[in-house]
Amino acid sequence: MEDDPLLRKFQKELSAGTVSLALLAVVADAPAPMYGYQIAKSLEGLGGGVLAGKQSALYPVLRNLEAAGLLESFIEPSDSGPPRRYYRATVTGRATLARWAEAWRATRDSVDHVLKGNFE
Amino acid sequence: MNTVLPTTIPAYLAQLRKSLEGADAAMIQDALYDAEEYLRAELAANPGKTEAQVIADVAGSYGAPEEVADIYRDTEVTVQTALRPPRPVKKADAEPSLLQKIFGVFIDSRTYGALFYMLLSLATGIFYFTWTVTGAGLSLGLSILIIGLPFIVLFVGATRVLALVEGRLVEVMLGERMPRRPLYSDAELPLLKRIWSMFTDARTWGTFLYFLLMLPLGIAYFTIAVTGLSTSLALMFGPLVSLFNDNVMVINLSGEDIVSNEPWLIPIVMLGGLAVLLLTMHVARLIGRMHGLIAKNLLVKS
Repeated sequence: MEDDPLLRKFQKELSAGTVSLALLAVVADAPAPMYGYQIAKSLEGLGGGVLAGKQSALYPVLRNLEAAGLLESFIEPSDSGPPRRYYRATVTGRATLARWAEAWRATRDSVDHVLKGNFE
Repeated sequence: MNTVLPTTIPAYLAQLRKSLEGADAAMIQDALYDAEEYLRAELAANPGKTEAQVIADVAGSYGAPEEVADIYRDTEVTVQTALRPPRPVKKADAEPSLLQKIFGVFIDSRTYGALFYMLLSLATGIFYFTWTVTGAGLSLGLSILIIGLPFIVLFVGATRVLALVEGRLVEVMLGERMPRRPLYSDAELPLLKRIWSMFTDARTWGTFLYFLLMLPLGIAYFTIAVTGLSTSLALMFGPLVSLFNDNVMVINLSGEDIVSNEPWLIPIVMLGGLAVLLLTMHVARLIGRMHGLIAKNLLVKS
C-alpha cells in the first residue's frame, strides 16, 4: 500500500466527484435496480485509480446521491441478512449523468492534453 | 491503531462501532447498517467460505473496521459538501455584523423549516401521544391474554420504525443529522433474544418518552408559531387595510381606531408588527435547534 501523503490527499480530492459520477453511471446503466453490494462488486477489478479504493466509501456516496434526488431507492427483504436497499436512477439522475459525463470527458481530454505537453 | 481482524460479523460490527466512538450517533447507525449489508451479501455470495475467511477478504475490499471508520468520518464531510448546493460564501471577517445577526434570520432556510415543523408538530404530537398511550394501554390490558405478548412486540417494533420516520422529519426540517437506516439488529441471535434486546435498548424508552413529550411540546410550538405569526402580520398589515376598509379597525387601548383618530401611530404599529415577526422568527429558529437536540438525545443516543 502506498502511503505517500501527497498522493493520498490528491486521490481524496480527485475521488470526491468521480466516485459520484461512476456510481451514478453504474446504477443508470443497469437493467434492473441494484443494491449496495452489487454496485460495489461491479466496480471491483476495474484497475487502479480512485475507484479501486475501499468499497465502504461507496455507501455514503449512494446515500448522498439519493438525497440529491439523482437516485431513488426501495427496500426489499433478503434471506441472507438485513433487508437490502435497491437503487435506481431517477429522470433527473439520468439527465445529470449526461451532463456530468460531458464535463468529465472535457476535463479528461484537456488534462491529458496538458500532461502530454501540448500547450498550443 | 492495529488490532486483530475479527472473525465473526457481530465482532466486526462491534469493532466498527468502537472505532466510530464519539462520532455522530446517526452516522454510526448508518455505517453499521451498510457494513452489515455488505458482509452478509459477501457471505451469501461465497457459500464455501467460513465467516472468518469472508471477513479477511472483506478487509481488503470493503476495509477493516478502523479503515471503514476513517472513511465514514471523511466521506460524510466531503460528499455532503460536494453534492449540496454551496453555502453562501462568508466574508473574511467571519463574525456577522449586528444587522446580519438580527435580519439574517429571514434568509436562513432553517427558520422556515423550523416554523413549518412547529405548525406540523401539533398534528404529529397528538398522533405520537395517542399512539403511545393507546399502545401502552392495550399492551397492559392484553398482557393477561395470549395475544398480549405478540401485541407488545409488534407495538414496540412499530414504535421504533416511527422513531426513524420522525428522525427524517427532524433532519429535513430542523437540519439535525438523524439516522437514515433502521437500527442494526443482530440477525444471528435467536428471535427471542432479538426481541428482548428491543426492550433493553435505552432508545426504545427514549422514543416513548419523546412521543409523550411531543404532545405538550407540539401544543406549545404550534401556539407560539400561530400567535407570533398572526399577531405580527395583523399589526403590520392591519393599519393599511383599515385605511380602505371601514370594517377593519386597529384598536388601541382606549378603544378608538388609530387610523381615523391618531394616524401618526400607524407606522409605529407597523414597526411593532415587524418587531414581533423578527422575534417570532428568532424564537422559531432557536426552538428548531433545541428540538433537534432533544430528538437526537432521545431517539438516537444510546
